[in-house]
Formats: sequence, C-alpha cells, structure tokens
Amino acid sequence: MAKAMWSGVISFGMVTIPVKLYSATQSRDISFNLLHATCGTRLQQKRWCPTDDVEVPWSETVRGYEYAKGEYVTLTDEDFESLPLPSKHTIELAAFVEESEIDPVFYEKSYYLEPDKKGEKPYALLLKALEKKHLTAIATITIRKKEQLCTIRPREGTIMLETLFYPDEVAAERGVDLGAVKVTDRELDMAFTLIDLLRKPFDPEEYHDHYREALGELIEAKLEGKQVVRSPAPRDAKVIDLAEALKKSVAAAKKGGRKPARAAARPPARAQRRKAG
Amino acid sequence: MTTRRAGGSVLSQLRSAGAAAVLRVEGHELAVSNLDKPLWPGRTKRDLLTYLAAVGRWMLPHLAGRPVFVTRWPNGISGKSFYQKVWEDRPAFVETVSIWSTDNGEARDYLLCANLATLLWLGQQAALEFHVWFSSILAGRDGRALGTRYGTSEAALEESRLNYPDFMVFDLDPYVYSGKEAKGEEPELYRPAFRRARRLAHELRDIAGSLGLEVFVKTSGRTGLHLYLPIRRRFDFAEVRAMAETIGRHLRERHPRDVTLEWAVERRRGKIFFDYNQNVRGKSLAAAFSPRRHPLATVSMPLAWDELDEAYPTDFTIQTVPEIMARRGDPWAGILDAKGDLEARIARAG
Repeated sequence: MAKAMWSGVISFGMVTIPVKLYSATQSRDISFNLLHATCGTRLQQKRWCPTDDVEVPWSETVRGYEYAKGEYVTLTDEDFESLPLPSKHTIELAAFVEESEIDPVFYEKSYYLEPDKKGEKPYALLLKALEKKHLTAIATITIRKKEQLCTIRPREGTIMLETLFYPDEVAAERGVDLGAVKVTDRELDMAFTLIDLLRKPFDPEEYHDHYREALGELIEAKLEGKQVVRSPAPRDAKVIDLAEALKKSVAAAKKGGRKPARAAARPPARAQRRKAG
Repeated sequence: MTTRRAGGSVLSQLRSAGAAAVLRVEGHELAVSNLDKPLWPGRTKRDLLTYLAAVGRWMLPHLAGRPVFVTRWPNGISGKSFYQKVWEDRPAFVETVSIWSTDNGEARDYLLCANLATLLWLGQQAALEFHVWFSSILAGRDGRALGTRYGTSEAALEESRLNYPDFMVFDLDPYVYSGKEAKGEEPELYRPAFRRARRLAHELRDIAGSLGLEVFVKTSGRTGLHLYLPIRRRFDFAEVRAMAETIGRHLRERHPRDVTLEWAVERRRGKIFFDYNQNVRGKSLAAAFSPRRHPLATVSMPLAWDELDEAYPTDFTIQTVPEIMARRGDPWAGILDAKGDLEARIARAG
C-alpha cells in the first residue's frame, strides 16, 4: 500500500470520520536527467550568489516575495507557521451540491479517502447517504500548507476527494466570438451523422499515451544495444580494490573482540541482529 | 544410485495408487492420501509426489545436513499456508538436529531431509516450498575444525559448523513493473525485467571471478534469480553478510541504474533489488528444485551459465523439470567442490 499523503478527519455536523488520503492518479511521463553531452556526467544544480560569488547552502536561504521589481519582503518558517489554517487536519464539509453543477474546469487532482478502523461505520454512512442522494459535498482541506477547496463524492464504494481550483485561479473567459458564422441545417445534419458514428460508451482502457509508449520502446532498444552513457564516478570517490574493501568489511564485522567468542560476552547489537534472523 | 532406484519404484507405485496408498520407500512405509487433491491449478498432490520422487536424487544432495523448513498449502496455493520448522510427530526415518534457540531459551529439533522418504513425507503434508540453511552439519572438506555442539548454548552454536555458511548468497529480485500489477502488488514476472536480472547475474559472475569465486545460478521460480557463491568455511555468517553487503555496494556503484539495495519497496522501482540480507544464520531461500507457489507450479531451477540467456522462469515446472534433468543432469552437482578460498584472496589485498 502506498503511503498516505495526509491523515485527519472528515468533519460533518456532529460526526468526525478519521481518514487517510491517497493519491488516485499519477503521471506516467518518462522523465530525463540532464547530462554533460561531452562526458556524460549528470549535471548538478547549484544555488549561486552573484554578489558574494559563492555557492549558498540551504541553511542560508530565505523566501522572498517580490512586491515590486527587485524589492522583496522576506518570510521565515515561523511566519508560515503563524498563519491561521483552520482546516489543517480537518476536511470541513460546507455544502452539498449536484455533481453537474461543478464545471470540470475547476477539478485539479483526485484522491482516495480511506477510513481508519474506527471510522469505518461513519465512513460507510456518509458514502451511502451521498450515493442515495446523488450528491457531492463541497469542503476545504489543507494539503502542504495550502488551504484548498475540494469535493467529496462517492465512487464505486470509496469516497473520493477532488481538489478544486479557486475561481480566481481559473482563467477568465477567452472571448471566442462566433456571431458572424452561419451554420446551415444540412451542415448540422452532417455533423450529427459523424458524431453518431463515433458514439460509444467511455472506456478509458482504450486510450494510451502513444508518445510515451514509443519513447519507452526507444529507451529499451538503446539499453538492449548497450548504447548507454555511463556517468563517471565522482572524482573524489576513491576507486578501491574490492578485495581490500571486503577485508575491511570482515574486520568491521569482527570488531568488538568477538573472536575467540567462547567466553566473551557479545555486544548487544550483535544479539539483536540474530533475533531479526 | 539407490535414491534413483527408489524414486523409480515410487513413480510406478504412485501411478497405480488410488486416492490413498501406503508407499514403500527405501524399505520404509509411508501412508499418503488425498492424492487427487489439486495443489496448483490443474496439478494434484500426486503430481507433487511424482515430481519429488523423480528429482529426489538431484535435490537431496542440496538438502543434506541442512536444517529444513517448509511452507505447506494443505488446500492448494490459493488457500491458507503454514510455515513449519518443528514437528512434534514424525516417523522414525525422519532425522533431526537439535539446535539452540535463544528466543526459546532451549534447544529445538529441526528437521533434516536426509532421504527420499522424508522428502515424500513432507510432500504428503502439502509442503510445496522447501527452504534450507546455507550452513550444514556435515564435515565436508572444510568443516572438521568447526564445532558440532549445536544444541547446548548460543556460544557453542556460534562456534559450530552451522554458523559458518557454505555459500554467500544473493537474491536478484526485479522491481521492474510490467504495468499489470494491482496497486501495491509486488511486480509480476516480466521479460524485460528478467533480462536485466540476467545481465546483472553475469556482472556478478565477473566480479566474483576477480575474487577467485565461482557463482552458481538458479531461477528463484518466481520473478528473479538466486546466486550462490560457494566459499570455504572460514567466515561466520556475520562476516559473510558484511562482505556480501560490500559486494552489493560495489555492484551498485558500477550499475547505479540497475541495482538497488533499498529496503523500502517503493524505492526499488525500476531496478533489480540485490538482496544480500539472506546471509544470516537461520535464513534461507527456496532450495534448488523446490517447487514454488506459482500458478504454473514453477520450480527453482539450477542452470548452467550457457543456459541462462535462453532460460525463462516459467520454462521450469514440476511437469517439465524431471525430463530436463534426466537429459542433462544437475549443473549444480559439484557446488561444494567448487569452493573458493576467499580468506586467502583478501589476505593478499591492501
């Protein structure tokens, strides 16, 4: 089972339901690393201060909000922690609506909610009630420091949570103007015929990412043909003889005066390891 | 060979038996029952016993002198399973060794699988998977100086043959997903993944060669490969495990794209899990020729190196293996005669 990315409670009137949140979708895009084309070494990113001409460690960084060109106000971790986030561990149900009332443009990401053992009863109750009423709940949840609007809806015996964009995060009307275009009945009939030809139930299994599949095949072919660029070991890592490394690991395993062991008491770490076996 | 003749006699007895019978095995009597009970889809207990009788003469040498434990599936592989180390009731032909158990504060009798009758007795109890220790109570050529008191105390056991393994072992487990697995499931058998496990096995063989060690390879019977490096009994389990870890790190440095040593399953994704953690007293892998819990009744099959690149785990089942063995024998037969002297090799280093 994947790790829960959030745990807390659904708060619904007098009822609280302890739940865990799991991501329901994952991008399957193939990702790449950037290498130096001439030597094949994986590139590192460094945080560089052009004023002091030095590399900056994470401990010397602070977040700045650019309120005017080149002018910043800085915010520390304490500043972030002091912010009020009422729904930090609570999914607060605020309203119930029909699913069709929500324009799909608002949907951001899907999650599964799973009840803790003691939450199973109220979870099942909420699930059943939403199913029977064909309703979706609007709620708020805080994930990774961001309070988000979300919906709670039943899907095949599980409560799903979908985060929503806030209205100001959705781009305004695009201003497509078709007022001057004339469409005749004959043309419309033709369009209807075409649509009817392709009318069928939605089966997501029929659709694949052809580009990703081709890319995967290309990579596999290169691996098969050993067309592999190997990043050289970092210069500071000493190349040592394996036999020498083995000698050191035996010596380390022998540490603690274990041999001869007949009379000697063994160190506790060793006894523990045995138990694990 | 007597086991060979005894196996042949059992085969004909099993063919003519009804649902239950009393088999005569090397002069012992063994009652078997429910012979037509399916243990795998389409494979019955009769098929299991037939397989064990047929391969016993190759399998038993790999079990000799080693504490054995089994996983039993009394109602077949889709039912409940039991992991069993200790038996209260056992026939007279079953040999045991008394081994100190620190957890229990006393010695317990562990099973040895010393003869065909014992192998079949375990099969009768629906033992499908056979596991044995990597150390043995037999003296061999290199165990005479080691202690033989296994059941008196932890300290004596530490000094005994059972604390000095005959092999360094590696379990190559591909975590390359075919994409058909359900969420959270272990990866299933998948050709590109197995190809990568093969490549890594060849790599390890090269590395071991540089240390003067031979490597023996077998399919796990599931998704990966088991590699056994026979070594002279000069190092105890803790030392062998430490060296195995070092070899794992070395291999990962050379093949960071292919090798993972990670404990966390989600971090193994896309790589071959190079598991060196079985090098511990009392731990085990499925033994050579052990059937596995796989719908096709696959077997952990010893391979010659020139067979590896053409071999695929599902080629080897309780149905196919007896014939292959009769044709080409056991590539692992000389494994204990192929021990490398790792102590001398590393003494020369540095």
